[in-house]
Amino acid sequence: MVEERRRHRVLMVSDFFYPNFGGVENHIYYLAQCLLKLGHKVVVLTHAYGNRSGVRYMTGCLKVYYIPWRPFLMQNTLPTFFGTLPIIRTILIREKISIIHGHQAFSTLCHEALMHGRTMGYKVVFTDHSLYGFADIGSIHMNKILQFTLADVNQAICVSHTSKENTVLRSGLPPEKVFVIPNAVDTAMFKPAPERLSHQEIIIVVISRLVYRKGADLLVEVIPEICHLYPNVRFIVGGDGPKRVRLEEMREKHSLQDRVEMLGAVPHAQVRSVLILGHIFLNSSLTEAFCIAILEAASCGLLTVSTRVGGVPEVLPDDMVVLAEPVPSDMVKAIQKAIYILPKIDPEAMHLRMKKLYSWHDVAKRTEVVYDRAFRCSSEDLLQRLPRYLTCGVWAGKLFCLVMIINFLLWRLLRLWKPAEDIEEVPDFTPPHHEEEEISANCDKA
Amino acid sequence: MEENPSPSRRKWRKVAYGGMQPGYDDNYTDESFLEGMVMNANLVKRDMLKVMHDSVSISQYLCIVALVVCVWTYTLGSTISETSLLLLDTGLLVSGFLVLLLTAKTLSFLLLLHYLLNISLFICGLYILAPIYQTLTRSISSDSIWALTVSLLILHLFLHDYSNPTLTGNISLNASIVASVLIASRLPSRLHVFAIVLFSLQVFLFAPLITNCIKKFSFRLHLWFSSGLMVMTLGLIFTFHKMIFSLLLGLLVFVNVVCPYWLIRIQEYKFEINGPWDEAKLCFDITE
Repeated sequence: MVEERRRHRVLMVSDFFYPNFGGVENHIYYLAQCLLKLGHKVVVLTHAYGNRSGVRYMTGCLKVYYIPWRPFLMQNTLPTFFGTLPIIRTILIREKISIIHGHQAFSTLCHEALMHGRTMGYKVVFTDHSLYGFADIGSIHMNKILQFTLADVNQAICVSHTSKENTVLRSGLPPEKVFVIPNAVDTAMFKPAPERLSHQEIIIVVISRLVYRKGADLLVEVIPEICHLYPNVRFIVGGDGPKRVRLEEMREKHSLQDRVEMLGAVPHAQVRSVLILGHIFLNSSLTEAFCIAILEAASCGLLTVSTRVGGVPEVLPDDMVVLAEPVPSDMVKAIQKAIYILPKIDPEAMHLRMKKLYSWHDVAKRTEVVYDRAFRCSSEDLLQRLPRYLTCGVWAGKLFCLVMIINFLLWRLLRLWKPAEDIEEVPDFTPPHHEEEEISANCDKA
Repeated sequence: MEENPSPSRRKWRKVAYGGMQPGYDDNYTDESFLEGMVMNANLVKRDMLKVMHDSVSISQYLCIVALVVCVWTYTLGSTISETSLLLLDTGLLVSGFLVLLLTAKTLSFLLLLHYLLNISLFICGLYILAPIYQTLTRSISSDSIWALTVSLLILHLFLHDYSNPTLTGNISLNASIVASVLIASRLPSRLHVFAIVLFSLQVFLFAPLITNCIKKFSFRLHLWFSSGLMVMTLGLIFTFHKMIFSLLLGLLVFVNVVCPYWLIRIQEYKFEINGPWDEAKLCFDITE
């Protein structure tokens, strides 16, 4: 089986990529690097960021297309349905792509690329990175769009089991088509502090955007309570956002200026240097599909206290994390428990355990299996695929079919106007030897 | 990894760490899948009679607005003189205060004095402004005024807050006030204008408050009051215009019988899903 391993040619599509920073961006970058190392060809497609437009190369000859579409809202491109067809078709043919892998349900570019991919008969895989409710108008709209994209996707990937349940419910996909492949953490980048911190003073670190969804309001309730209970506890809060004012008000009100340090936004490259200052990492999110921040903290040897929401309970073994309901009193109890068990925690041992539990290399290997499965799916023509869209809803189903038919006609027109033979194919180009070492530093070998 | 391995195949666990679980594919789904899902967690069983009782407030307010429109048309047709209008205003004001006094549990003398002072200031202001209202829309034709008034009233009824009338919606209240000013500007004398605007404002501002007081005091009284009001309105409108009478009757039946039945029928289509993926709700108030 090993000798006939297929080399895939993957196009990763998402609106979210470097220079933006976040869970999805990180995921795409590390997954791409490790897939390159496994011998696959990976190309990333995203929209232009500022004047970063055109083709760029990243570490390990990872080719990135920044297509000249401007983001209009929260780094999303304007949904045009058909506008991106010509450029995506050209890229697909130029790079001789075999599989399109879209990331994140918010990304319009991802949805459009998957739609064009299906129209042109490519195999498509989709990764969902977030959770969504079912109650409000926004979610209903997003769920309909997701249903449209996933109606005809070959395989889907979710980052946690909770996320899988959510995706299956939202899209009506059969559960066996949805794979659970979690995120990972670059343990080489997140090493614990060289020497163990003293336990005279206990430092609790919080790094998150200070917004409602990340539970900044819970922090406002919990921090004064803990400071009152333990005179030797200090807090370091990294991150910025609309709720920062509330935290600062809380600090004034309880005169905790010397015990709660507010750092403001922390660039990703400096997250480790903040994490290693503390003993305990506190995550107060109200919703979370996976939570990479917990992995980074655990890799730095911090004991994690987190709210029991979404996929968080699946992320770490029970002895590495203290979970609490998103209620101030319960969170205070959890922090008390964490402070009690803190002397038994050895950061170095925790780091070594994290190395065994998570690696991007493992993620890439598991993703490879999904690609193989997608590749083995039989090719279908438009008439075989249309009934799947029709079942998406009384009105929506017909609308989706119409969109697909128009897309198909546009594609045929494009083929006449600019035949595939006229599009120049890009020669493959293997990274020179000295860069390979750089990749292995990023893509840590299990 | 740390749990004791069974001889054949380790049990599948719902965890994300530790890589691919040996013996299981990544798309493995066991019976624990979706076990955290809760369907229709906060379904309320509704009783037909209860819903009908609750809808009485809406039809009551519809009747009040219909009565106001009746008074407007009678005044415009000079059926009611300005003195009887002023008497009506005083009667409404006094009866309103009486209801407030009788139903309120604690109402101090000082608060009453405060109310009285406010109302007298309000009346003085209105009296001074009356000449301006009278000539406000002289250049606009009466048809446009009526059309505008009707649409404003419909807007008012749509946006009116029927459940918690202590603070009515701003847009709704403004629509009703503009409608009454427009109607007042068609009247012949200053006193007419003053009386009609005072009357409309009294009704639109204070009627929801008063009816709510009655409802809180005794629900039975509220039902009697409302049905009395409905009969009175229907009777008045019957003598006024047959077509509008049947329209109003249809509307009242629709609000009181058809809508409650409808609401109970569509309950069976309710399909709400909750589960561990939902955003947690904070159990305390966020005071900004």
